[in-house]
Amino acid sequence: MSLGTRFDSGGTLVSEESPTREAVSGGLVALAFASFILGVLSLFQYLPVDTTVAGFTVSTLLGGGLTLVGAGTVTLGLASYAGRFETSPGHTGGIASAVFIGLLWFAVGGLVAAQTLGLSTLWPVVALFSGALGAGVALVAREDLGVTLSAGLFVLLSGLVVVTGVVGPGWRWDPNGFSIVATGTVGVPVIALFAGLVGAWVAARVYGGFGAQGRQTGAYVLVGTNAAGMLALLVAVVSFIVVRGWAPMTEGVRYGLYWGPVTWFNPPVLDTWVIVEGPILWFYWPFVMEGYGLNIPIDGVLPAIAGTFWLVVGAIVFAVPLGVGAAVFLTEYAEQGRFTFLVEISTNGLWSTPSIVYGLFGLAFLVPRLGNTPSLLSGQLVLGFMLLPLVVITSRESLKSVPDEYRDASAALGVSRWETIKSVVLPAAMPGVVTGVILGVGRIAGETAPILLVTTSSPFSADVAGVIQGGFSFVGSFPFVTVPTLDLVQSSNALPYQLFAIIGAGLGENLDFAWGTALVLLLVVMSFYAVGIASRVYFRRKLNA
Amino acid sequence: MSTATRFAGLDDRSLVVGGVGSVILAVTLLSFIVAPALTGYLALAFAAFVLVSAVIDEEHTVGFLLFVTTTSTVLILAFITVYLVWNAVPVAREMGLYLLVGSDPFWDTGPNVYSLVPMMWGTLVTTLIATLVAAPLGVAGAVFISEIAPGWAREIVKPAVEMLAGIPSIVYGFIGVTILNTFMQQELSLPTFGSLFVTGVVVGVMALPTVVSVAEDAIAAVPDPMRDGAQALGATDWQTTTSVTLPAAFSGISAAVLLGVGRAVGETMAATVILGNVTQLPDPLMDVFGNTITLTSLIASQYGAASGLQFSALFAAGVVLFLTVMALSVGSQLIERRMRRTLGGEP
Repeated sequence: MSLGTRFDSGGTLVSEESPTREAVSGGLVALAFASFILGVLSLFQYLPVDTTVAGFTVSTLLGGGLTLVGAGTVTLGLASYAGRFETSPGHTGGIASAVFIGLLWFAVGGLVAAQTLGLSTLWPVVALFSGALGAGVALVAREDLGVTLSAGLFVLLSGLVVVTGVVGPGWRWDPNGFSIVATGTVGVPVIALFAGLVGAWVAARVYGGFGAQGRQTGAYVLVGTNAAGMLALLVAVVSFIVVRGWAPMTEGVRYGLYWGPVTWFNPPVLDTWVIVEGPILWFYWPFVMEGYGLNIPIDGVLPAIAGTFWLVVGAIVFAVPLGVGAAVFLTEYAEQGRFTFLVEISTNGLWSTPSIVYGLFGLAFLVPRLGNTPSLLSGQLVLGFMLLPLVVITSRESLKSVPDEYRDASAALGVSRWETIKSVVLPAAMPGVVTGVILGVGRIAGETAPILLVTTSSPFSADVAGVIQGGFSFVGSFPFVTVPTLDLVQSSNALPYQLFAIIGAGLGENLDFAWGTALVLLLVVMSFYAVGIASRVYFRRKLNA
Repeated sequence: MSTATRFAGLDDRSLVVGGVGSVILAVTLLSFIVAPALTGYLALAFAAFVLVSAVIDEEHTVGFLLFVTTTSTVLILAFITVYLVWNAVPVAREMGLYLLVGSDPFWDTGPNVYSLVPMMWGTLVTTLIATLVAAPLGVAGAVFISEIAPGWAREIVKPAVEMLAGIPSIVYGFIGVTILNTFMQQELSLPTFGSLFVTGVVVGVMALPTVVSVAEDAIAAVPDPMRDGAQALGATDWQTTTSVTLPAAFSGISAAVLLGVGRAVGETMAATVILGNVTQLPDPLMDVFGNTITLTSLIASQYGAASGLQFSALFAAGVVLFLTVMALSVGSQLIERRMRRTLGGEP
């Protein structure tokens, strides 16, 4: 934002501060958040609703907290309406808030009418009526009265329902037409989640003193919670996999340092063996150094790691030259026109094409032509097709960001276009290109669907696919050397497929192996992302400095 | 510019390089389609031609090569379209409209009767649930990153969202199977293993980063002077966001949501492992906790055992998927283009 100053708090513009209102409503926001978080914990059964904490059941705590929040906000709203506090309420609660509150009351009215009162055909009428009532109060009454009454009463009602045990640990609800049965262990936390958020929102509006400032505070509370939720989701997923997968992944790791012969040779003159000794580090990590088989003590995922490695290398070799070339042509050679429009549409189209469609295409087009067997080569090409649009898009962005002065200066020296691109433009754009490639590789390394169709054949493999065959040696006949050959037309395992195959084979006894595989896969993919993001931050800082 | 004048604009050398090179390349591609055994030799011939031509005239050779790389995305897309449709033709000819609307039986390999109705329903329901998750949360996340967050929070949340996009789909699916499916069975007494609801929520979480990053780009593209004007009139930050920034970025945000929907439609592995993949509609139809199959999980779960007409039916599912996602992609691009024009001040 270019405007340097910001009105950081309501206090600078809104006439007077009222410490009582801010203290009480701030406390209510905290209490509502506490209910929300306790709701999350009890939903996932870390603290089931019937456990006792500090002498109360979790259910009672949630209900009591919500009742307090609801009663508190309603009281504050009434006090503000009676003029006890200095606030600046608008003459209406606002349309967006009214719609939101109307939806809440619509749900409450509908549930009560259909499930508690048992109205089978009439419930939509009741639901619409209560929804309209909630929205109407928020819309018509002055903001401090309307919003706190309609939303605060919702929180109060939710709290009372839970604290009185109407929806308690023993509650049971079999919704008509759905194949689930809800019980108190889920119902109470879900109510707490919703009511807690609504309570935090209303209390934050009171905290901001209603009006424009109040709406901003209320909205920021919700948007901020959403962002925090995304962070929490990432941390939860990653740490969950680390916790479950760490033990199976590191099972049987041994390492040591010993003194032993490093190398030995037989010099022609001495006619005796010279042995050089030294410290040797010995390291054995079975999970990533072994395959999966009967005579292997600790099953590992080495074949899958090797397969993923070859797939990624092949995709890069295929896609990066094509993608960077296309980006150079589009930014440096082509005039904007129908051709570039077509290329743009197809690049973005390829970007959004589902991975399973790539797999189908590979199955129909590549596999019959490349040895008629699932093969690494087909997988490399298909993943290359998927990587291509990512490389084109990111390389183009970074080529565009190279300033025109660079090109002009080079052209003024009489350097030809290709020389300019080769020695000026491409080096300047290289960081962006590399970052884009790394991030793209992170994405395709985790792809399962295409390789499932074109590369893999057996779910558990004991041996690494022998891609490099033969070695480098001198021979007596022409051309006097043999070089290792690449055999890419053979099926192979890969990390994401390994995980899929375990799930498909049944998780029972292989559950630990699955968690370990998930952790290795996550580490491989996440390290690509971490390196890509870090290098982007680094180069951006360097550019700005 | 007509083709004739365009050719006239090129000099003789680029005509020779481009003409001969294109012919060799076209023959190479053609040989891969009809006689893949010959492709290697033809590719070698093309490489030799490029090498010789580069020695003689580097500038024009490079121009030609770059042009060739540019056509690759168009070619690949064209090949995908052709091969999908080509393989779907047998089943379309056999089943006719039954493929899209038939109901009894839905999918029976015995008498070779195939209808995509349960799969399309499954994809529709999971996509709707996913959109309900991803669209509001994603737009809110984008607003947070570009409008609300102080610098330090942005430095944390933005990479975190990208990392979220990096978690492989099979890992999400694995978590869905082991944790969410078990949760549904234990706590909500769900009789079957897997449900549309869990799939939709997981797929929604997976589509979330796409919505966040594209919507964030759209919001960041709103010129700062528009915001400054609102603030100069005394609007709060939130008033500026809701009444100036978001309306101006509206088309870009809808493009973001469309792209997120496209991701949700095409998501394969999570749906394959979480759903039970039964080729029946849920009973009753509106039971979102029921079990069925999606277009993507149909392909992933049946490709191995399929042959003949069933194989072709899988390609028909692929065509439906492909067309849906292409329509979403092209739609979002047209919307974005319009937004850029409007914000750029052009008519």
